[in-house]
Amino acid sequence: MKRVPARFQWSIEMQLQCPFCGWRQVAEFRCRGVVAEFDPDTVSGVYLRVNRTDSSIEYWQHLNGCRSWLRIWRNPSSGEVLEIQALDSLVQAVNPE
Amino acid sequence: MRQPQQRYSGWSLAKAAWDGGSYWHRLWGATPLQDAYDVVVVGAGGHGLATAYHLARDHGIRRIAVLEKRLLGYGNVGRNTTIVRSNYLLPENHNFYEDSLRRWETLSHDLNFNVMYSPRGMVEMVDSDDGMNTLARQGNAMRLAGIDSELLDRKALARFVPEMDLERPRRFPIVGGLLQPRGGTVRHDAVAWGYARAAAALGVDIIEDCEVTDVRTAAGLATGVETSRGYVQAERIVFAVAGHTGAIGTMLGVPLPIETNLLQAMVTESVKPILNTVLVWLYDDAETYISQTDKGGLVIGGKLDGFASYNREAQWHRLAEVVEGAVAMLPQIAGLRLLRQWAGTCDMTMDGSPIMDRLGYDNVFVNGGWCYTGFKAIPASGAAFAQFVATGTAPDLIRHFGLKRFADGTLLDEAGTGPFPVEH
Amino acid sequence: MKTPRRAGLRLGDRRINFRFDGRSYQGFAGDTAASALLAAGTRLFGRSVKYRRRRGLLSAGTEEPNGLLTVDPGPFCISNLPAPCLEIQEDMQLVSQNRWPTLRFDFAALIGLGGSLWTAGFYYKTFMWPSWHFYEGIVRRLAGLGAVASDAKLEPPWVEHIDCDVLVTGAGPAGLAAALAAARSGARVVVCEREPAPGGELDFEDAVIDGHASPAWVRATIDQLKSHSVRILINTAVVGSSGKLVIAHCEPGGLAKDAIVYRIKCGALVIATGSIEQPIAFVDNDLPGVMLLQAAERYLARYGVRVGRDVVVFGCHDRLYVSARRLIRGGINVVAIVDTRPECKTVERTALEVSGVRCLTGHTVVAALGRHSVRCVRIAQLDTPDATQDIVCDSLLVSGGWTSDACAALHLATGPNQGLAVSAAEWSVAVGAANGMLELPAVISDGHQAGVDAAIRVQSSTGHKPLPVNPSSRIDVVGGDPPPRHQPFWRSPASRKEEKRQFVDLQNDVTVADLRQAFEQGFRDIEHVKRFTALGFGTEQGRTSAVVGAAILAELSGNDDKVARTSRRRPPFKPATLGLIAGHRQGLSLRPKRHTALQAWHVENGGEMEDAGLWQRPRYYHGNGADPVAASLVEAARVRESGGILDGSTLGKIEVAGAGAAAFLDRIYLTRASTISPGRSKYMLMLREDGMVLDDGIVMCLGPDHYLATVSTSHADHVLSHFEFHRDLAPVHRNVVIADLTEAWHVIAVAGPRSRDVLSQILGEFWREKLSGLAHMGFVTGRWQDQTLRVLRASFSGELAFELHCRASIAVPLFQALVNEDMLPYGTEALDVLRIEKGYLTSSELNGQTTPEDLGMESMVNLGNPCIGRALLDRPGLHRPQRPRLVGLRANGPGQSFAAGALITTTAEQNLSCGHVTSATFSPALGEWVGLALVARRHCHESTTLLARDPVRGRETTVRTVPPVHFDPSGKRMKS
Repeated sequence: MKRVPARFQWSIEMQLQCPFCGWRQVAEFRCRGVVAEFDPDTVSGVYLRVNRTDSSIEYWQHLNGCRSWLRIWRNPSSGEVLEIQALDSLVQAVNPE
Repeated sequence: MRQPQQRYSGWSLAKAAWDGGSYWHRLWGATPLQDAYDVVVVGAGGHGLATAYHLARDHGIRRIAVLEKRLLGYGNVGRNTTIVRSNYLLPENHNFYEDSLRRWETLSHDLNFNVMYSPRGMVEMVDSDDGMNTLARQGNAMRLAGIDSELLDRKALARFVPEMDLERPRRFPIVGGLLQPRGGTVRHDAVAWGYARAAAALGVDIIEDCEVTDVRTAAGLATGVETSRGYVQAERIVFAVAGHTGAIGTMLGVPLPIETNLLQAMVTESVKPILNTVLVWLYDDAETYISQTDKGGLVIGGKLDGFASYNREAQWHRLAEVVEGAVAMLPQIAGLRLLRQWAGTCDMTMDGSPIMDRLGYDNVFVNGGWCYTGFKAIPASGAAFAQFVATGTAPDLIRHFGLKRFADGTLLDEAGTGPFPVEH
Repeated sequence: MKTPRRAGLRLGDRRINFRFDGRSYQGFAGDTAASALLAAGTRLFGRSVKYRRRRGLLSAGTEEPNGLLTVDPGPFCISNLPAPCLEIQEDMQLVSQNRWPTLRFDFAALIGLGGSLWTAGFYYKTFMWPSWHFYEGIVRRLAGLGAVASDAKLEPPWVEHIDCDVLVTGAGPAGLAAALAAARSGARVVVCEREPAPGGELDFEDAVIDGHASPAWVRATIDQLKSHSVRILINTAVVGSSGKLVIAHCEPGGLAKDAIVYRIKCGALVIATGSIEQPIAFVDNDLPGVMLLQAAERYLARYGVRVGRDVVVFGCHDRLYVSARRLIRGGINVVAIVDTRPECKTVERTALEVSGVRCLTGHTVVAALGRHSVRCVRIAQLDTPDATQDIVCDSLLVSGGWTSDACAALHLATGPNQGLAVSAAEWSVAVGAANGMLELPAVISDGHQAGVDAAIRVQSSTGHKPLPVNPSSRIDVVGGDPPPRHQPFWRSPASRKEEKRQFVDLQNDVTVADLRQAFEQGFRDIEHVKRFTALGFGTEQGRTSAVVGAAILAELSGNDDKVARTSRRRPPFKPATLGLIAGHRQGLSLRPKRHTALQAWHVENGGEMEDAGLWQRPRYYHGNGADPVAASLVEAARVRESGGILDGSTLGKIEVAGAGAAAFLDRIYLTRASTISPGRSKYMLMLREDGMVLDDGIVMCLGPDHYLATVSTSHADHVLSHFEFHRDLAPVHRNVVIADLTEAWHVIAVAGPRSRDVLSQILGEFWREKLSGLAHMGFVTGRWQDQTLRVLRASFSGELAFELHCRASIAVPLFQALVNEDMLPYGTEALDVLRIEKGYLTSSELNGQTTPEDLGMESMVNLGNPCIGRALLDRPGLHRPQRPRLVGLRANGPGQSFAAGALITTTAEQNLSCGHVTSATFSPALGEWVGLALVARRHCHESTTLLARDPVRGRETTVRTVPPVHFDPSGKRMKS
């Protein structure tokens, strides 16, 4: 599983490190929403979310880039990005640097 | 020691000027936090204060406290773009917001506080015939319910908004819009302060700097709230915490159909009147709305930032996108300068409509999920939710906003964008 | 009164003529409106917003609250320009603002007479009867600063992207030192300076730096920087940052005309934006002639302007005396220096006393007196504030200390004279006065060190080895102003009545009385006070009001010793022009346009193009009718009668291939793609995760596990992401490849009875044979003109029709070849007519609120494919009798019509909507209006009579329900 170490981005606007493309402006990405903790084929999976102010796991797509889907773990209060994984767990990214 | 509410009027201004000393009373007093209350309202924003006010005024409940984590009115009620309207498609929504709009019309008198309701009209504009048909459907739905709406074609729009030059070449030529003449703006801070003052005069304790950290329960009912100032017993608890409703659900062990997103707004320097209505423009995948405050600054807003955030920081590219839309609507403002930008945290629900229901326990109530439309709802929400809390039964006006609509399949999805909060 | 000009650092020789409020003036090249008008003796520059009091200039920079001017005339009318930032140009017409009829005689100044009535927040307490709206018009006209012409135009700015290692904001001593150090260390450096020239306070502060006098050192440093290829951007201010892009706006001469937006990518940011001098509040401290002390120094040094003849200096720190000395040297008579501190024993003070300047300590200025401008000041000892004496003067220069004007590093509270702690960020640091340092040697060494650090940091992160920094490259500083030894003093003592004329925020007329009233009414926190009084909400963004206001509030609340808290600064860090924020995305460039290869052909042949998202599609062709409706009916009729062609290239096309592609599509679509045989296609529905129909389209099977899915134009982008998401989500789909071919394949629809014959003729023998045997929904791949061509037999018009998929290079020849055979083009309007006649669906019906059952496709659901969204279709609410059902509509009366967006009601309950019309058109094939509607199930029996109510368009029509397929229900035309 390709895990990319997070880098604390203190700045007014976020950057995200795509596992394939490296650090890119957040404007290149689009967030689909929070990852559900329930089976996606059920009402709970489709609608219910566990909201936490210190931690949020979301689906993002690097839309204006490689178009990979990513699972991004962030702290939505500080803006800190904790971890980014490619959704497709077996894909090995080339070193983004 | 509570003083009776001081009457505000032009005459009182003259008396104060004559008096010269500290004539004006505090709007809400620094009352101490008691050990127990009949109702504890968490959140001193618009909905919390309005609910507390109506609980005291309409239902005679004596011991009410509004607990505020930080500062009264510092949340979304003080950060919105001040637009009020009832131009919704679905009857459950437009009936509710129309009830609210009718209350806006008389609120200054009811509260004896000028909330500066300005029915300058609100126009939603589109750039295609399909868009016009969608607006027509919405306008017709309003008319059938007795709510004012007018579909303006290009000529009529040019007459209504002469400051917008429709003949100029545009990337997306505007073909018309839907006008709600009674829609307009209200001074947002005034709403929070007005309700706070009125509620305080009726005996409501407003306690700032008091964060609720947990709910204590016993035998299947909530017994009170743990706060940063100690435990407070409560027979009933109301959560009206825009921006944190989802987190409250998590605290109570009830996941909610909510994701919290940021909505940015900004204001320019003050200029003489150039815009006499509220303009909303939908183009491509974006949206921009613009109105002018009574002081002269142009307030501009757009769509959500697009991801979960509780941190009200700016995103420059979002700011630029919203400004693009404003300049596209009214090219003559390109030379104005932006002074300030801020953001609010919007509890976006899975269908874009609010949540008013019990939460986890029979005596815990949640009033939230207002997405970015909470401000205009304040008066109706306060009255109806107070009735809900006082009697235990949700009045018809808000019956459809319960949580079970998601499992039932009776959602209130105005735009039809589905279970993606960011899209609503 | 005019005083002769001295030499100024920024002045050139050329004389410039301009006008202000109708009078002619002359200045020099490099003059600002402020300096030229001050030199001409102008004192009155504007009027305040609320009380319309006479106002002069307070400052020499963007923090100017009073002197806002409008550049007139005509379309290039820009208002609210601070006079100190506006460079005069030949024949410039300047106009003062917010007064009527003239600046000298403002009618609305009468408002000021009722001053006590109009305290902060007074409008919350009145204007309620009969309604606020009754008063609003007048209030709005009185409020507001400058005016905007409704036809004002501003050209979009030039946008430049810069990539550098170190960005230094500010070219004062700290910034120049930092830039020099970084450049010498081998970094690529860019410097942004808000003013028209670098130097900062070195323009007037005496020092010897590396052997040069300060101005000479500035010049030498600039030369050195240029020799290191450092770019120095003047008139450029940082307004915000976007991740690692710093956004800076360059407005030459202070105007947004010919502006440049810089988007600067830098590895390290050095913030050297300096400090802002703070005023002190006393009675009538807004009188023209009251100015900040260092503003007077700037006018003298930079523009050779003496702001007054006999001045009094007032403040609370040691630098009053060095400033006074410089003013005297510049020809200004300093009558007295009023120092609020109990004592001051500096050398400068002694020297000034000896030379005849009255130096008072432990005193304060209680009031400024004068009708139109300062003519004397009233002072008193702080111990005995009632024992006053007057000093005659014509100007009062005030200095309450400094606060930093840092812009990009602001997560910490700032207080008076407290700089910011160096931020924890890995790439930015504040230096010099922006970091709270005020003494020149420390400022320069701070800047120098930061420059070295920044260069090293950048180079280590990019892997370049830094040039060795020469230890002797330290910058040597002798002199500079002494340490201020500042003792905070924010306002003079005053009675409650007098507090009404002690101004804290000059632009918004916020006085100490307002702050006290706010406090007494329960607004204790600075956030509440700001909102209640409008403190700091003006164009100076609180630069000269926020700290003073916070300090006074702290005093009122008895928290003197606690640090006064101002609120966090956010971007824009300087008022940012909207047109520059929008950048190049203005006018027709707001969004790009997507064209098919046939765009030019359409336009040349009379196509009226319309937007479909970002695409441009022909709506109709001019030759067929005067307006869209007329043309569409002609075009549609022609298709049914003989044939027509349509450019359908904007259709979304997604190729799905790889092991498991069939299973993947089975998951995506309501019915199984795996049942489609190669060479065949099927009409499919796609559900959203909540069971609503997301889109429909045709899926073609190109081979085993190889498909091409078509998606409606409006949903193409969204559905592509939807496919990619679900593919990435489940490991079982890992080997499925998804390719977006929307732009790879052009699509030409050829429809009508003649379609097969014409195609056979044009495409050749190979195709003739294939086409004659091609069944409905089948497709054939081959070549034409040596390019791949795929022909799918499918129809959106209900006629015999074929979709030609080809590459861009043959799209135009193919289209033209068809036209030559009398298969004429039709547009999207005609397409709509044809599909409505056949009951086919578009986003009007697939509006995100309908299930397959609503649309009459429950048979697809009943096949039981466990696709995305299927499970949520079983929710009870989706099967209630109120759920909509797709029906066709016909008007009951002859010649009657109805439109999409009309609401359906029963005749019995006319105010209760039970559905709406989704699509409607006049049908040339049937000779009457037909439509499609979604109507509640319980009212959907055959031939129910209903009302289509359309009050917003003034129409009401009796209609009846019919099956949705209006024309040729058996489909035999299509399947022939």
